[in-house]
Amino acid sequence: MRNFKKILASTLAYGWLLMGVTVVLVPILWMINAAFSKGILLSGVSLFPDPSKFSFEHFEYLFTYVSTSSQTMADYPAAFLRTLSIAVVNTVGVVTFGVITGFVFARLNFIGKKKLLLTMMVLQMFPSFMGMIALFLLFRQFGWLNQPMYLALIYTAGSIPYNTFLVRGFMRNIPRSLDEAAAIDGATNLQILRRILFPLIVPIIGFIAVSAFMAPWLDFMLQNVMLPSKDQITVAVWLYRTTDPFNTLFYNPLTFMAGALLIAIPVMVVQFFMQKYMVYGLTSGAEKG
Amino acid sequence: MKKKSFIDRFKAMLGDFKANPDAFKSAIMSAFIMGSGQIRNKQKIKAAVFLGVLFFFILIELATGGYIYMFTELSQYPGDNIYIIRDYGGIFSKGLWGLFTLGKVVAQTMYRGNLVSAYNKVIPWLSADNSVTLLGQGLIAIVLLSLFAGVWITNIRDAYTSRKVILSSGQIETGKQYIKRIWVEMFPFIILLPTLVMVLFFIVIPFLFSFLLAFTNFTNAVKIPLNLIKWTGFTTFTKIASDGAWVKIFLSVVGWTFLYAIMASFTCYIMGMINAIVIESKFVKAKKFWRTLLIVPWAIPSMISLMVFRNVFDLNGLANQLLNTLKIMGPVSNFLHTIGLQGVIGDPIYWFIIPENGNLAKAVILMVNLWLGAPYFMMLITGVLTTLPKDLYEAAAIDGATSWQSFRRITLPLIIRATLPAIIMTFTFNFNNFGAIYFLTGGGPSWPTAQIPVSMYVSGGVPGQTDILISWIYKLSFNNNAQLYNIAAVYSILIFLFIGFISVYNLSKSKGLWEDD
Repeated sequence: MRNFKKILASTLAYGWLLMGVTVVLVPILWMINAAFSKGILLSGVSLFPDPSKFSFEHFEYLFTYVSTSSQTMADYPAAFLRTLSIAVVNTVGVVTFGVITGFVFARLNFIGKKKLLLTMMVLQMFPSFMGMIALFLLFRQFGWLNQPMYLALIYTAGSIPYNTFLVRGFMRNIPRSLDEAAAIDGATNLQILRRILFPLIVPIIGFIAVSAFMAPWLDFMLQNVMLPSKDQITVAVWLYRTTDPFNTLFYNPLTFMAGALLIAIPVMVVQFFMQKYMVYGLTSGAEKG
Repeated sequence: MKKKSFIDRFKAMLGDFKANPDAFKSAIMSAFIMGSGQIRNKQKIKAAVFLGVLFFFILIELATGGYIYMFTELSQYPGDNIYIIRDYGGIFSKGLWGLFTLGKVVAQTMYRGNLVSAYNKVIPWLSADNSVTLLGQGLIAIVLLSLFAGVWITNIRDAYTSRKVILSSGQIETGKQYIKRIWVEMFPFIILLPTLVMVLFFIVIPFLFSFLLAFTNFTNAVKIPLNLIKWTGFTTFTKIASDGAWVKIFLSVVGWTFLYAIMASFTCYIMGMINAIVIESKFVKAKKFWRTLLIVPWAIPSMISLMVFRNVFDLNGLANQLLNTLKIMGPVSNFLHTIGLQGVIGDPIYWFIIPENGNLAKAVILMVNLWLGAPYFMMLITGVLTTLPKDLYEAAAIDGATSWQSFRRITLPLIIRATLPAIIMTFTFNFNNFGAIYFLTGGGPSWPTAQIPVSMYVSGGVPGQTDILISWIYKLSFNNNAQLYNIAAVYSILIFLFIGFISVYNLSKSKGLWEDD
């Protein structure tokens, strides 16, 4: 009887997991299948891989199609490089600002510190779209639209308040006696930060750096608004326009699958590779509000 | 320590002034001319610093304005209605003027005997006023002026306290000492400066700007430079609150936003918990294998997954293909109709398209969100499960608790307590989860035509049945035929108030976070 119960429980457990894995994997496998299928219609994608329909044409299209004559590079790689450059600038900016601001709030004492911290806390809660209308109107006025680097600045600034708390929280768990010892030996604040604290806060830096690098690949709203020109599209905008049925010029679901696949794979690799850091940041962020 | 009330502190300050009339004199002098109190205190370097700041600000005002042309031009181009600050003011005076008036002169009109154009290179004041620029410059002026006010107050305080110190001890702090002290005190601000500038210009000013737009008439009907934006007070608020049809649409969008945010968080949480508990149970081997497979949706960028699902639920997509291949299209379609999700029985099923299927689209959104969101909670809860104290279970088993009882009384409360902040965070995230709606259904299907107020068709920015507040705000602001910036701003303020309320609640729970040790 006891044995029977045990068998029943494991059958249920494995049945549940198998079902879960099926639900998780089927859409992904279908997406891969679609990316390698001939034609431009979803109805042409078979449920199971069909060798007669196999084709690389969508990947070819990705690297050859140029929509505006002003561009020397195909749309997709150009969009990729543009997003990449935003991501790199954003990562550098976020890490620099995050470390410095976190350090100041964790280690230095000054007038108005508490008020500033509270301000940061409140700012961190503003959904970023709140300022988007204003940024768009002002940027349009000053002629800053269609400038990927200005967009990177917006990303960097937007993440400062939250990262301040992450880095500060992490640094506060490092004993102050370390810096005090260094200060007695005559180290300046910046030396303490660079030589002593920096090596110890690598995990949290890893987290904010990966998040900052990922942000431009995952965001669409700001990019669509701030880079409206056709020759300044990013990967997100490229993906959206190929999957928007109302966009008759670019709508092309199978090409979308190919383009999405090429982005998803590196992102997945990074996510799994950095899983330790990501989980750390997610949970510490969650615990600390 | 009990905090003194504001009035008590004010009284104490007045008393202090009475007791030190000489120091008060220095403070008054500094209040009128920055640095003059310091000269009286015989602190020359300090006085020079404050005087320098004062002159610097005045110089900026003069250099950015057109004051030198004023007198010759006033006689050269006379007029009845001359806005002197508009024409010749510098960054501060014109900024404030623009903020209050939002401009006075538009293109294609006569001003001081000349035709105003959109942009006049030679005579700046013949360029039409641009309310957006004026509003932006006004906010920048306010920010800079508050900086100046900060220095001004420091200067008064310094004049007062230094005088007191000099009178009581007879010693004068030298400029060198002062500069050194200030450097130490100011060091954090100096290295924070770039951060503060970024936050100010990319977060605070845009936020204030959006906030102020709610009190204007700014829509696509305002054609700059031919028109000006005007302050309208609470007109926009009352307009959308008094039109019954608008209110009805608004309430249904808000209702769905809440339903979506609550259900999305709840379902993901339950599913994540079940998966975590099943994998961690003693019946399952190869835990790491199963965990890795089930985490996959978390690793794919959500934007991509959502767009893939948009295609999955296309008319020719995977969902309909599967139903057809398995030959269950008829029964499933019937079933969806019977339980009230599908308005009309369809073959193939129109997931996001026809107005009758609004409920179906909502259900699909929740299912897709479950696919996306469950892995996060699975990871989180797996982490909690590994830290549960073993001895509690042993004690419970000795007391004769069944495994269900120990789950119900030990595991569940511990999990919930550890993950409560994450649930609240997920809720606020989902409340503003633009992508989940915009990439999947684009807000569709649309409402039946009769339910949309005519005024909304005229103004544009009509929401779909699955639009949540944020995706509707996006449509209101950026759809080419809408651009109802003022209405979008009003709704943004509502969201902000709500999110702010939750955040304050969260804040009160985690005070240690922002308080100092």
